[in-house]
Parts: sequence; structure tokens; C-alpha cells
Amino acid sequence: MATSLSFFPILSVLLLTLSHAAGAATIVYDFNITWVRANPDGLYERPTIGINGQWPLPIMTANINDTVVVNVINQLGNQSTTLHFHGLFQNGTAEMDGAGLVGQCGIPPGSQFTYNFTVNQAGTYWYHSHYKGQYPDGLRAPFIVSDPNYPYKGQFDEEIVLSVSDWYHQEVQVLIPQFMNKDNPTGAEPVPQSALLNDRQNLTIAVKPGKTYLFHVVNVGAFAGQYIWFEGHNMTIVEVDGVYTEKAEAEMIYLTTAQRCSFMITTKNETSTNYAFVGSMDTTLFDKIPKGLNWNVTGWLVYDSAQPMPAPALVDQFNDFDDFALIPYDQKPLLPEPDQTITMDVVMNVLGDGKQYAFISNITYVSPKVPTLYTVMTTGEDATNPTVYGEYSNSFILGHNQIIEIVINNRDTGKHPFHLHGHNFQTIARSEFNAGDFSLGNSTENSYPAIPMRRDTILVNPGGYVVFRFAADNPGVWLFHCHIEWHMDQGLIATMVEAPLEIQKSITIPQNHLDACKAGNTLYEGNAAGNTVNFLDLTGEPVPPAPLPAGFTPRGIVALVFSCISALIGMAVIAWYGSVDMGAASKVAEQQRIAEMEQQENQEVTTQATTIVEAPEEVR
Amino acid sequence: MSNVFAPSVFFIVFREVLESVIIISVLLSFLKQCLGQPDQDQTIYKRLVRQVWFGTLAGVLVCLIIGGAFIGAFYGVGKDIWSQSEDLWEGIFYLIATVIITFMGLALLRINKMKEKWRLKIAHSLVDKAKHHSAKSWLGAWGKRNALFILPFITTLREGVEAVVFVGGVSLGLPAAQFPLPVVTGLLAGVLIGYLIYRGGNVLSIQIFLIASTSVLYLIAAGMFSKAVWSLQFHAFAKKVGSDVAETGSGPGSYDINQSVWHVNCCNPLIDNGWDVFYALLGWQNSATYGSVISYNVYWIGIMMAVACLLYEERTGSLPLKNRILATLAKVPGLKGWAKKKQDVSAEHAAEVVRQGQVHLAGGVFDRSDSSSLEDIRQTEK
Repeated sequence: MATSLSFFPILSVLLLTLSHAAGAATIVYDFNITWVRANPDGLYERPTIGINGQWPLPIMTANINDTVVVNVINQLGNQSTTLHFHGLFQNGTAEMDGAGLVGQCGIPPGSQFTYNFTVNQAGTYWYHSHYKGQYPDGLRAPFIVSDPNYPYKGQFDEEIVLSVSDWYHQEVQVLIPQFMNKDNPTGAEPVPQSALLNDRQNLTIAVKPGKTYLFHVVNVGAFAGQYIWFEGHNMTIVEVDGVYTEKAEAEMIYLTTAQRCSFMITTKNETSTNYAFVGSMDTTLFDKIPKGLNWNVTGWLVYDSAQPMPAPALVDQFNDFDDFALIPYDQKPLLPEPDQTITMDVVMNVLGDGKQYAFISNITYVSPKVPTLYTVMTTGEDATNPTVYGEYSNSFILGHNQIIEIVINNRDTGKHPFHLHGHNFQTIARSEFNAGDFSLGNSTENSYPAIPMRRDTILVNPGGYVVFRFAADNPGVWLFHCHIEWHMDQGLIATMVEAPLEIQKSITIPQNHLDACKAGNTLYEGNAAGNTVNFLDLTGEPVPPAPLPAGFTPRGIVALVFSCISALIGMAVIAWYGSVDMGAASKVAEQQRIAEMEQQENQEVTTQATTIVEAPEEVR
Repeated sequence: MSNVFAPSVFFIVFREVLESVIIISVLLSFLKQCLGQPDQDQTIYKRLVRQVWFGTLAGVLVCLIIGGAFIGAFYGVGKDIWSQSEDLWEGIFYLIATVIITFMGLALLRINKMKEKWRLKIAHSLVDKAKHHSAKSWLGAWGKRNALFILPFITTLREGVEAVVFVGGVSLGLPAAQFPLPVVTGLLAGVLIGYLIYRGGNVLSIQIFLIASTSVLYLIAAGMFSKAVWSLQFHAFAKKVGSDVAETGSGPGSYDINQSVWHVNCCNPLIDNGWDVFYALLGWQNSATYGSVISYNVYWIGIMMAVACLLYEERTGSLPLKNRILATLAKVPGLKGWAKKKQDVSAEHAAEVVRQGQVHLAGGVFDRSDSSSLEDIRQTEK
């Protein structure tokens, strides 16, 4: 059914733009998290996670330099939760970052938790659950931070927030056991049932002719990247992932999950037709395309609601804009040579339980017993020793204000959108499909862009690589992971422990955070194994399943030897049987049979003879 | 060189041809030795040889039709039904072939033990029609008569479908230019081995040749039985996983870990060249399941027990424990009548056999030139 764009996001953005004049404000959100029921694609009603009894969730808004307070009460009853504010640096407030068992314990059912941070960056962001792959159940929505000194201020008439997403009919607690299963050793991810625009379908946006609209688009999906285009209109890109860019014209853009893009669209000067716009899921990610799947979602720019809503035209090829070509508005130059280069090889493999796991440089992520940030706070001097974080948190220690370069070699056949918490980064090299590993030989400082594109979620092509740099100027514990939820479940995660000693000096864990740990029986002191006495003793740390045996196990050797022996004995027995003479009784039996056969032959002969002889008598 | 010759295609064709050719050569060589000597009656020999060739060619023809259907479905309709049902298909055919070879092998060895003219008589009974009273006995007799047709037919049918489908390009993503040369060389190599076996058979003493070839046949049959069970288990696993698991290679994730007895990440007969010859001859798998290992050993144990029973029967006239079993069954209500009848028959038969044996021993019947003694038997019975 055609529904019009919710008034709420436009109104809230306008109100805040007006209210900024008062100076930095404190915005308080009270989020009561409960299950509600929803049917956004009209195909299937299902339980979804709502806030304050409603779904779709409210769009969070703020002005730059505002303080945002979010009071979360988890009334889900059966699941813990957290909230992560994707793209916000949380500089000085690493404990508010919201990644479960990284910056905080999970918020158990019935508990209360307060996030309190300042937003020093403007742009398009979003917030979502960051606990055990929960956000595809609906706990995600855009978060827009406005800037009175926006570089393109005055060049647009209205702002519109648009979210694109994939949508599953089954809950995550049903999908994950089916996905992480020994009967799924190829790691085929669940295919979504629909695509959504603003958490619904058949979206209509009323537009006036001859105006310019600024769209803030967020991909809040769990898995599918989306191609987005507006029929009859071009987009002028002005921002990606909270980084303003110089204007860039595009006919079509591609957003992986978690990426954002803001662009201006100038409407036509006539109102004779309405125009369709499409979000089309990237089906190359899907293992199989089930019959009847509609991987597109359509909306309309409505110039005249009396006119028909045209069906979108088929597109032969996806000519999406390559974000690598964007130039940041602040012209920030390439960071100098890195102090630390971290090379990460991404691989998928099956472990001893028959399930497929994801590995970054041979380590698959397993959550530690103590949130990594709390380990930093409680291990004193040893916080600079990566051992205390456990082998399977895949931790890297970054020095304060070091220039860090990360190389991702994607040795998998799938696309991966990698996201770094707490920073955006300069993308200095990205290869095509199957280009192989990155090697310094084929890139030099001279070949890197002088003003590299910056964002916080970047796509790595299958069989290729991506290289990026950032400055470690934000002490905190920052997760680095693929933003496909299924791959997170498989452990495609690493942890950046940035300037641990500075973290200890700069933050304090609020009491309600620790209360949540106690209520959920999660340890909050000590190393990754919960050891508060000997920080270098990791016995008891959570570990992944053992690898599969690569060669013959004792059981296999016994089986093979036994089989060979039985074959040899069997052949010997056959040879023996073939060489001994026939037994007495059989000889007699055969003799008898031959005799019978000869008897039969003779009888036939005599019968024939008798017939011939007798015939003349009968005739008589 | 490698762009006109694909080693994988060569090995596939070679191993398919090899299995069929071993069975056919053994049959032909046996026939030649037993019945085809210049001083023997050539009509029976020629008929049986014709049966073998008809079976072979019929199998090839049907496999071309079936393989063509698969290829047509793949290229025309776009559905790769071959890879979905491949293991089920293979498993069932391997089972049928195993059963046939098992019975045929022991029969061949047994026939060899008989004296020459008895062999001839047996051969007669294989081809002549006899009167039959029921459909079941007709079918049994038809099967017996045409055993030398059925075995090559089933064998070439199974091997051929696989070969045709692979060469037709289904499941192998190679450019077309790489196909003709390895197909031809694979065929020639296989046929050469077959010819050598045939000639070797004619040169060696028939007994040694038969023992050696039957041993190899049983080795192949044991491998087939194991492969049948493995294929059926793999089919069940692939159905659960839902995608083409075989294409994931030999590594982790390509097999069911619950069923695994051994797994090595190499030497996969489907993928690694050369190992598929081991697969064809011995049933080697790089990833063995409980089913495949146990069935292999069960087969051999079964053969050994069957041979033991046959030897016992040859010596004493009845299967071991038969009387005891019948006696026990006679106590079971419902089977009493049937068991009693069998007991009477076997008692009668045993007595008759013993009596005849005594007569024949007196008559000196067990030497080669005893055509006259057969006359004696008839005289005595009259």
C-alpha cells in the first residue's frame, strides 16, 4: 500500500536546525526496548524489537557539539542488548561505544543503562544493537547530526532521511543456529525475503518542482549491499559516512550495509510525471536466489499524487559510482608514513564442529569473558601486553597518536564491508576482484591519492585488497569487523586497543554499566579469562572449536589397515576355493543333473519318434 | 600442450573404460578358454560371445541416450539435474553391479572345476529354453540364461553415463578444445589394457587366469559395494547441505564430520588426477565414512563365509547347519509344515546321493573317459 513519508523525520530535523541557535544542548532519549509485532513488507507479520512500543524506530537527531543522553531499559524479557552509535568517535567516552563484551557488558533483561556522550561531528550516522547479531530483528535506525555551518548550507530546500535495508521473516535466534550449523559447511548466508525503504515498501515522497532536496541515506541492513538510483534524476554526492565531500555527480550509488551517503537531488520544473526510485539488493552476495524473491524495493518522488506511480524500468548493468574517487571537503592530505602496519588476511574455514568460521590472520574471534575495555581498566601496566586480552579477541595494541596502516587481503570469494569503530580512515588503495594480496611493490607513496577519500565502512572485493590509514588519536577499545552480521557471528572481528594507558587515565566506568554486568553475571575485572590475579594467565579463556584433523587419525589408520587385511585374506580365500577340486557331494549332484538333462534329451527324441510312428494310426 | 589436453578428462575416460573393460575381457577370455577351443563346438561359444557383445553395445547405446538426456537438460533447460542426483544414481548402480559380479564370480570359478563336457552341458543349459510353469521361474531362468548379457550391460551403462555426462561438459567447466584428445587417448588406453588381459587370459592356464581375474573382480566388487554405500551417504549429506559440496574441494566442509573415519586433504578421486584409478579399482576415497569402511569389510567377510559354505556344501551335500535350522524352524508354529517338507526332501536327497555315490564309486565314474558310464546310470535307473 502506498504510504507517505513519515512527517516525523523532516519535522525533527527542521526543529533542531532552528533550535541550534541556543548553543550546545543536551538531548535526552528514553528508550524502552520491547518486542512489538510488525509486517513491513506486507508478506509476513513477525516479532520485531521496538522502542517505546513502536517500530519503525525513531530517528535520533542532534546538533553538532550537543550532548546526547540515551537511557535504555531492556524489557525484551528474553535477550540482552546494547546500543552502538555507528560512526561516532566517542572520543574520551569509549565506554559509551556500545559493542557488547568490548566496551560494555550486555544489558540483561530488566536492566537499565545510560549512554552519555558528546557529538563532535556532523553528518549521517545510525544506531543499532551490537550484541550477538541482534540488530536484524529491527533494533536499528538513522541518527542525523546537523551542522549550522554546513558547507552546502543554503543550497538545498529540504532534508529527507531515507533508510534502505534487507528484511528477514525469521528471527535472528532462529536463523543463527541454521546458519552456524554442520549442515552448512559452505557458510551459505540466509537470503533475506524483502528489501525495505524506510522500513516499509511503496514509499512515496512528495516533492515540489524546481527544488533541491538533501537526502541522507543509510543502509541499515544486515547483509545485502544495495544499488540506489532515482529514475530521471542524478544525485550530487556531498557526504559519505559523516565526511563532507566535494560535489560528485552520480547516476547510481552502491551502499554496503552500514554505509551512509548524503546527496542532493534537484527536482524537475514540471509536475506531469512521478518518478520511481529503487533500492536493489546485491544478489551476488546470495548463495541461491529462491523462487519468487523480489530483491528490489521501489519508492516514488511524487510531483503530482493524481498521476500514476510508474513501474521502474529494468536496468541492464549496474553503473554505480566508485566512492574511491570522492574528495573530502576539508582537503585533508594523505597521512604520513605509518608507524605500524597491520596486515590482515581474511579466510573462511571449517573447524572441528563442522561449522564454517571466519578468520582474520588465522584467528577467529571469540568474545572474552571480560569486556576488553574493562580488561584495560583493570590490568594496570599489563594493559599494553596483548596477551591479557586473550588470543581470540584478536587484539592489536596501537600507540597513542601513531599513524596506523591496515591492509586487508580478502582471500575469500565474497565481498566484505569492513568497519572500524572510533575512527574514519583514509582509503589509499583498493583493488579489483581477484587482484591477489597487496604487496608494497605494486604501490608506492606516489601512487596513493594526495587527498584520500575518508569513510568508516569500506568494501573489499573478493580476492582483492584494501589499504587504509588513520591516526590513533582516540584512546579506546575499537572493534574492527566485517559489517555483515552473519560474518560477525562467524568471528570476522579484530580488536584495536588504542593507547591503553591513556584510556585508564581518561575514562571512568559508570556505576550503572557495572550494575548491568552484575545483573547479567558477566565478569568485569581481569584479563580475558577473568583472571584478576595473574593477568598473563589465560587458562579458561573462551576458545573456538579445534580444527579438523588434516590427516589420518589413529581411527583412520586402523580402519585402512583392517580393510587391506580383509581384502588380502578375502582374495586368498577365493584363490583357495578356485584351486581345490570340487567336493564329493557336488560332483555327484552335477553328475545327476547332467544325467537328467541327457534323459530329457533322449525322451524328446523318442517322443518325436513316437509321434511320427503313431501318426499314421490316428489318420486311420 | 595443456590447452588441447585436459588430464582430468583423460583420467575420467580411462577409469570408466577400465572398469568395464576388465569385466568384459575376463568374460570373453573365460569363454574362449572353456568353450572356444578349436576342438570344441563353436555354436554355443559364439552365442555366448555374442551375448557379451550385445550387452556391451546395448549398455553403450542406452548410456548415450541417458547421458544425452542429462546434457540436454543441462544446456537446453538449464537445470543441472546430474549433479543433484549423481550420487544417488551411482550408489544404486554400484549396488546392482556388485550383486551381479558377486554371483557371477563364484559361478565362474565353480564352472571351471567341472570336467570339460559337463561345462559344455552347463553352457547348453545356459542357452536352451526349457519349459517353465510360473513367471518367477521363467524370470529366474531368463536371468540365468542371459547373465552374460546383463553383466556387461549394467557395467557399460553405469560407466558410460558418467563418461558421457562429463565429456558433454556438465560438471566440468573446461573449454571444448580440451576434450577430443584426452577422450580418444583415454579410450585407447583402456581398450589396450582390456586387450592385454584378454590375450593374457588365453596364454595362462585357465585355472590360474580364472583365479587371478576372479580375485581382481572381487576386489573391484568390494570397492563397488563400499562406493555404493559411500555414494548414498554422500547424497544424503549433499541434500542436507543443499549446494554442490563436491565442488568445495577436498578440504574441511566437503564431508560429513559425524560419519568420517578418515579424511585427508589430498588424493580426492573426484578432483586429483590419477587417484580416480585407485577409486575405480579399489574403491579408495580420501574421505571415508563409517558406512563405506564397514561395508567394505562386511563384503569381504561375506565372501569368505559364502566360499566356506560352498565348500561345505560341495563336500557334504547340504549347507552347514541347514538341518539344525530346519529342526528349529519346525518348532515354530506356522512354519512347521514348510520346514517339515524341506526336511523330508533333504533327508531323501541325502540318502539318494549317498546311494548313488556308492554305485558310482563301484562303477568308477570319476575319470575323463566316462561317457559309457553315463549309459550305465541310465540303464540302472530304468
